[in-house]
Amino acid sequence: MTPAIETRGLSKRYRKVTALNEATIVVPEGRISALIGPNGAGKTTLLRLLAGLARPTSGELAVLGSRPSQDPAFLAGIGFLAQEIPLYRRFSAEDHIRIGAHLNSRWDQDSVRQRLESLGIPLGQRVGTLSGGQRAQLALALTLAKRPRLLLLDEPVAALDPLARRQFLAHLAEAVAGGGLTVVLSSHLIADLERTCDHLILLAASRVQLCGDIDTLLAEHQVLVGPAKDTRAIERDHTLVQAVRTPRQTTLLIRGNGPVIDPAFEASDVGLEELVLGYMGQQAGPAPAHLTAIGGDQ
Amino acid sequence: MTWVVWRQYRNQGYLAAAVLAAFAMLMLITGRQMASDYRSALSQCAASHNCGNLANTLTLGIPWVSLLVTLTVAVPCLLGVFWGGPLLAREFETGTSQFAWTQGISRRRWLTIKVGWAVLAAAAWGGAVSALVTWWSSPQNALEQQNFQPSQFDIQGIVPIGYAVFAVALGIAAGALLRRTLPAMAITLVVFTVVRLVISEDLRSHYLTAVTKTFSFLHPPPLPLGSYWLVSSGLVGPGGLIPSSRSAGAQLGVDGVPINIGALPSACRTLIFQKTLEFPSCLAAHGYHGLVSYQPADRYWAFQGIEAGIFVALAAAFIAVAAIVVLRRDA
Repeated sequence: MTPAIETRGLSKRYRKVTALNEATIVVPEGRISALIGPNGAGKTTLLRLLAGLARPTSGELAVLGSRPSQDPAFLAGIGFLAQEIPLYRRFSAEDHIRIGAHLNSRWDQDSVRQRLESLGIPLGQRVGTLSGGQRAQLALALTLAKRPRLLLLDEPVAALDPLARRQFLAHLAEAVAGGGLTVVLSSHLIADLERTCDHLILLAASRVQLCGDIDTLLAEHQVLVGPAKDTRAIERDHTLVQAVRTPRQTTLLIRGNGPVIDPAFEASDVGLEELVLGYMGQQAGPAPAHLTAIGGDQ
Repeated sequence: MTWVVWRQYRNQGYLAAAVLAAFAMLMLITGRQMASDYRSALSQCAASHNCGNLANTLTLGIPWVSLLVTLTVAVPCLLGVFWGGPLLAREFETGTSQFAWTQGISRRRWLTIKVGWAVLAAAAWGGAVSALVTWWSSPQNALEQQNFQPSQFDIQGIVPIGYAVFAVALGIAAGALLRRTLPAMAITLVVFTVVRLVISEDLRSHYLTAVTKTFSFLHPPPLPLGSYWLVSSGLVGPGGLIPSSRSAGAQLGVDGVPINIGALPSACRTLIFQKTLEFPSCLAAHGYHGLVSYQPADRYWAFQGIEAGIFVALAAAFIAVAAIVVLRRDA
């Protein structure tokens, strides 16, 4: 089965800035992928490249089996929701539904109306007067009405309060349960993503740090806690992701399946948040004086 | 997509249609009145065989309506600033281009239909205003015989259509490049004004080679009938053309040809105020003669066509720029 998304060495440079550097990712069909990374890591750039809104500087990419383009056949398969949730502020939800009906060959307007009615979002009111949560729900409903095979959502819940966030994610989960839909969802809120997603793309400093099935990735990593001592033996057998050393204690995040023989260290499973922070910590600024964070290449 | 364009711009369309309808009413009512005033003045002067002086004695039209008609010169610019400028810029500014460009329609089609309707609307509105003004002005045109005057030429015939299409295309291109509504509108205003002035001041008189005639001052200048355009006139001495620059001191009009007094042979200068033929004879004896250079009245539509063509071509160039920017650049 062709993956929904496959990129190789995908890069995007703006005049001086490299927004995305040699990104190689694979998202199999039917997955809900969490796109995580600090601000400016390249999440929006990646999503825009996948949606065909931006063109890569170099590298290859295939989305739903073809290169993103401005062609209706490609666009019909894509649902894209930009971070600022751009809608025509002077138009009502009903106007947007009718615009969608005019611009898309496949358009399920009944589902949008039902969804908005069940959420109590007025169809006739100007979008500019709706709340942020209502706008996000409307935008998601409109995006889903295209019946896309791939949904690209750029921090759609960032501006929402916890209740609206939960409703939004429930709406999304419901759509995914229908089947045949792959989702890439970027967010800062790891707890939300942990509930919703089964796949992870971790970006930091414009590079892909991790990409794969969340369960597999969690199983591949472990946290070691032990005394302050030489850890070179461990680093030979495993990839060191992050090390936090204090005068008394060493905490290591390592990648590699083999058991750790050193009895001084106690191994434990890693959670998604720990994993993400571990990789993001590599790019963190200088550590406080009594700590040393050592970055390791994966 | 046409429905989407209609939905987006229908309020502006209604407003523009209402303004146009009000203007049309005003033109029809005052225009009919003016036409009948002109007809009765003509029949009166014909009865007393004194029509030659009618242009100096008769004033047609209500002053504020005439002023309003003169101000329609701004219509193309307004269309460019308020329709052309925001057309793409607002989509970029509010991010709705990302919404539009991820629907099931190609960016090319989106752009073609949006730009196509904007240009058509501009041509329709520019053309409608111009048609009304041209019809309304016909008694004045017949009376004053000054169709080539910029205050007439620029608001009548087909050039306003060219201006309107150009202004909207310019606004669209500015919006595509700047991606901000207000700067795009401002740039449209400035560039449109500059281009219009440069073309009407420096280029227009050269569209066709002017008819140039020299004449002895013993006879009146051989000027044509009708509303010709006197491009230049002056004095030719033994040493060639003496420029009759507007700033070069005292000037003397001989049969409507301005002559720089300082450039005359001193022998003739003393004769300037003689009522007899001595002065022109003196000029002729010293080898001086007059020169007029003009565009005949029957070139009016050729000039309208050439100028409209220039602006439509410029519009096409700006549309091409906008298309390249929109299709090549990232959203």
